[in-house]
Amino acid sequence: MLVHFFRIVALAGLLAAVPVAAQSSATLYERLGGQAGVAALVEDFTWRLAGDERIVGFFANTNIDHFVASLEEQLCAISDGPCTYTGPPMDKAHQNMGLTNAHFNALVEHMQRALIERGVDVGARNQLLGRLARLHGEIMRLQ
Amino acid sequence: MMRGVGVRAVLLVLTLGLASLPAAAGSRLVGTGGVSAIEGAAGGGLSPWAVLTGTASEGEFAVTAAATRADLSDYRLDVRGVAINLHDRLELSAARQDLRLDTLGGRLRQDVYGAKLRMFGDLVYHPLGVWSVGVQHKRLRDRDLPRAVGARDTRGTDVYLAGSKLFFDVIAGRNVLANLTLRSTRANQGGLLGFGGDEESGRSLVAEASLAVMLTPRWVVGVEFRQKPDNLGFAREDHWRDVFTAYFFNKHVSLTGAWLDLGSIAGLRNQRGGYVSLQVAF
Repeated sequence: MLVHFFRIVALAGLLAAVPVAAQSSATLYERLGGQAGVAALVEDFTWRLAGDERIVGFFANTNIDHFVASLEEQLCAISDGPCTYTGPPMDKAHQNMGLTNAHFNALVEHMQRALIERGVDVGARNQLLGRLARLHGEIMRLQ
Repeated sequence: MMRGVGVRAVLLVLTLGLASLPAAAGSRLVGTGGVSAIEGAAGGGLSPWAVLTGTASEGEFAVTAAATRADLSDYRLDVRGVAINLHDRLELSAARQDLRLDTLGGRLRQDVYGAKLRMFGDLVYHPLGVWSVGVQHKRLRDRDLPRAVGARDTRGTDVYLAGSKLFFDVIAGRNVLANLTLRSTRANQGGLLGFGGDEESGRSLVAEASLAVMLTPRWVVGVEFRQKPDNLGFAREDHWRDVFTAYFFNKHVSLTGAWLDLGSIAGLRNQRGGYVSLQVAF
């Protein structure tokens, strides 16, 4: 009886281990869909910013192609993809823009919706949001 | 007289707050203001959290109103509450509790005026989460029964320190909200049975904890625990616990349901039952 119980436990353990192993071998970058996934995500996100009157003013003097390329590179690097972020540090990039938490919240909301809309799985979505949330302190440092 | 002044002051603050409301709701993420706890502050159902009510951020205001009912084996509690969030810095709240003693007969009504100051941090962005201090000034309107069972006073003030933090991708990819509250209190059964007693007249330091899993950005399930003092000799007072679920339809409306286990209350054991609370936010 006891042996039978342990067999069931061992079997359950094996079954449970398979998806966990498959998931942990994939980087967050891969779970976001790799280069194509990140590019689609950034495009979706950028359109949402363009349509948000609270945000769009900050981009009045921005080269959007440059912004898109830089954000793709940053998301690739932050999600353990094969990239190195070569843009300016986050505090310098947002220096004296007059950003408030309200602006930052709006960005997070747009990113969350873009991730859901792109069909990114819930674990990858929340992991990326968690990594981006950690940038808050640096982005707000020089406001 | 004092009661009238208090209510009028709260209404004045609310009116001023409403007059300066922006058209949209606050900018914080949906759900990050928690729901309305039974003492009026933003929190879970039983315990105040460090987050401030609504979704207001700096430069924004939020006003929330909530109606709550708990149906226990021998009691029924109704709570009406309002709270205002000023710039995600200060929360002011008022709640009116009405406990019907179905088995013992009678009712116990109490008013709770609360203030909560966010000291530092942020639920989502700060590595240490958000930390707040709060006070809850409680005044019993029905004083005879608490006095008869040995309560020393019919009004009292709780002081608490609360910390809340959101952890990303914790369980099955879901985010988890954790809250810890330390409270200094003389209240018997939250104040409904008065303050201080024959066995302990002074303050007790008690701990409260909540853990909530965000199944989706709008749907939360969780557990709560609230330690209680045991001041009165005539009946034992137990710790409170519950499991809850809350759904945020949007930034304006949330519905919370819970299963409460409040233990022994005024000599009647096993006070369990359902809890439902509706909150609207502007």
